[in-house]
Amino acid sequence: MADSLHAYEHVRGIYFPIAIGVFALVLATLLLLLVRGRLRQTAPGRTADAPRFEIGYALLLACTVAFLIVVTFRSETPIDRTAAHPAVRIEVTAAQWSWVFTYAGGATVSDVSSWQPPVALVPVGQEVEFYGRSRDVIHGFWVPQLHFQRQLLPEYPTRFDLRFDKPGRYGGVCSVFCGDRHAQMHFALEAVSPARFQRWLGEHARRGPSARSAS
Amino acid sequence: MSTVTLPARAAPLRALASTDHKRVAVGAGAVAFAFFIAGGVLALVMRSQLAADGGVVSQDTYNQLFTMHGSTMVYLFVVPVALAAGLYFVPLQVGAAAVAGPRMALAGLWLLVLGGLTMWAGFLTSGGAAAASWWGFDPLSDAIHSPGSGMELWIFGVVMATAGQMLWAGCVLVTALRCRAPGMTLMRMPVFTWSMVATCLLVVFAFPALIVALALLWAQRHFGGVLDGGLGAVDYQQLFWFYGHPVVYVMFFPFIGMVGEVVATFCGRRFFGHSAFILALLAFAGLSMTVWAHHMFTMGQVTNKYFALTSTALIVPAGIEYLDLLGTIWRGRLRFSAAFLFALGFIVQFLVGGLTGIVLASPPLDYGLNMSYFVVAHFHYTIFAGSAFGLFAGVYYWFPKVTGVLLRERLGKLHFLLMAIGTNLTFFPMFVLGAEGMTRRIADYPSSSGWKSLNELETVGAGVIALSVLAFVVNVVVSLRARQAAGDDPWQGQTLEWATSSPPPRHNFHALPPIRSFAPLLDLREDSEDLVARERAPA
Repeated sequence: MADSLHAYEHVRGIYFPIAIGVFALVLATLLLLLVRGRLRQTAPGRTADAPRFEIGYALLLACTVAFLIVVTFRSETPIDRTAAHPAVRIEVTAAQWSWVFTYAGGATVSDVSSWQPPVALVPVGQEVEFYGRSRDVIHGFWVPQLHFQRQLLPEYPTRFDLRFDKPGRYGGVCSVFCGDRHAQMHFALEAVSPARFQRWLGEHARRGPSARSAS
Repeated sequence: MSTVTLPARAAPLRALASTDHKRVAVGAGAVAFAFFIAGGVLALVMRSQLAADGGVVSQDTYNQLFTMHGSTMVYLFVVPVALAAGLYFVPLQVGAAAVAGPRMALAGLWLLVLGGLTMWAGFLTSGGAAAASWWGFDPLSDAIHSPGSGMELWIFGVVMATAGQMLWAGCVLVTALRCRAPGMTLMRMPVFTWSMVATCLLVVFAFPALIVALALLWAQRHFGGVLDGGLGAVDYQQLFWFYGHPVVYVMFFPFIGMVGEVVATFCGRRFFGHSAFILALLAFAGLSMTVWAHHMFTMGQVTNKYFALTSTALIVPAGIEYLDLLGTIWRGRLRFSAAFLFALGFIVQFLVGGLTGIVLASPPLDYGLNMSYFVVAHFHYTIFAGSAFGLFAGVYYWFPKVTGVLLRERLGKLHFLLMAIGTNLTFFPMFVLGAEGMTRRIADYPSSSGWKSLNELETVGAGVIALSVLAFVVNVVVSLRARQAAGDDPWQGQTLEWATSSPPPRHNFHALPPIRSFAPLLDLREDSEDLVARERAPA
């Protein structure tokens, strides 16, 4: 569930080879027709259409659409689903031009300075629920390594789940153009073992919402 | 022809005050081309910025640059030039003496000029030009986040230009539907005219949504309470993309129509699958009104699966159009003119844009690629590598008709070669950068990202594109000075515009050939070939 990484890789593994194959096929056909057409000595053909062939071809295209749509729908459903009992819930608040991550216990992570983007901890291998919103314009929560993004709207929260299968740092950026310092609006999510995550969370919850650094 | 001789100096005045559809269209084409150059210069500055570690312009200036680049190319270049081609050639192709509503057509030209100048006047204000992207999306474009008058001028400029485009679309549509010559039935209209019918239907149905969106945005800026909060932002985007997706096809149909004409002519044969092509165009136009929210997949506020389905279904009409183009080349006797080369460039490169569009129509892929340079690469492959090549195919094909002189073929081929190289150098690396996580609309990127060398390559490519455009300008100047007369029909054309003089007289035709199909001039040639063959054959 909420496995955007594998959904992306699965769909890409089907879409990209088809796209490249179609491109190669059209290019090869075109080149063949060009060579033959250039060498042609006799008058051009007069065939104006081939209705049966065209109808058959249209049906083939429709079948391709159906196949692609099935692949897409089956992969999208789990990404959009949100878990009933997520392990952790994190509120993400974006504003021009910074990020604040607030945990259920009251711990908070935000920028130390514009040179040091906030690093929020998440547990490895568990469902993490994000509850995102913006305080001004539209921002975009994008984690390229997970192939996932969601726009954060002002005053209207959006909910999505993510799972981090490998420990390590996942860089994030604001994907929706939001004004002058859009390019500098970075953040990171650090996936650590659930035990270490709980320890970290406990320490920060005790220190209260004023805690400003994650590591 | 003309009985009143105006002094030579009156030519610009005549260009801006004549109600002859040909003069209006040439004026519109010239204005649009000037905006193309202006928008291109902005792109060159942006490319320099991205190759030079963000050291050329400030962040705020960069935001103005990409906003005005996108706005100029869409609102002031591609859409106007597409409709201008319709304004010039639809009346000719259907055998009409004039366009329907010639004064409205002239008003459209004035609105384009005024709208464009208004939008660009933003650069003269203290706060600079608009900087909220060509979408102008709320709340970034509201009075709090974009307080300057540049944003106001942008709104008025876009509304004026768009209103003018709606006038043109009405003129062209009515001409095709109501002003056809005797014998020119709907199904005998050539592919370019049909592509303009589909285009104008989209303009008429979709463009009002943009004017509504911008009126609401203006009201929000001045009074508030219209587009408040997150849902106000969603509402703006619903309206904007209800315009913003159909406009993508307004920037596509006319050019595939031009390519269809060019391919048929330079393969010396009848367009293959004419009826299927028309059905595909109309299905395309209908479907394209139902796909707008695929631009909003990552908002989580629309029914993604519905829009994924309708967007992916575009494969069917697009596939049929491609089959018909290839079918026309099949068994043709080819002449590799500059126009034909540009048409081939369109066919190959637009395909890259189309196929990556199918990729982006799948939400699981879009979640990973939206707002990245992958998207920038995708739509530049459709609009520049596709439509702009289609446009130049049309320019090399029709320039003799419009001016009476031929463009230089060798310079044209050089133009094609440079433009093809530059285009792919500039836009192909963007697919890679986008997939690696480079966000669009950023004036700088972290030096640790390793994206610099590809960005430098793109900037070199942009320079090559600029050189190719220079080759085109030189070609036009040389061809107009040392004139090589074109005659009525230099290419052995098939459609009615080639049955009159170059340029055509004020009311287009002195006489029309019989119209028995969508290629009346080809009919005449085939008849005479058959006659010769019959006479040669033993009785």
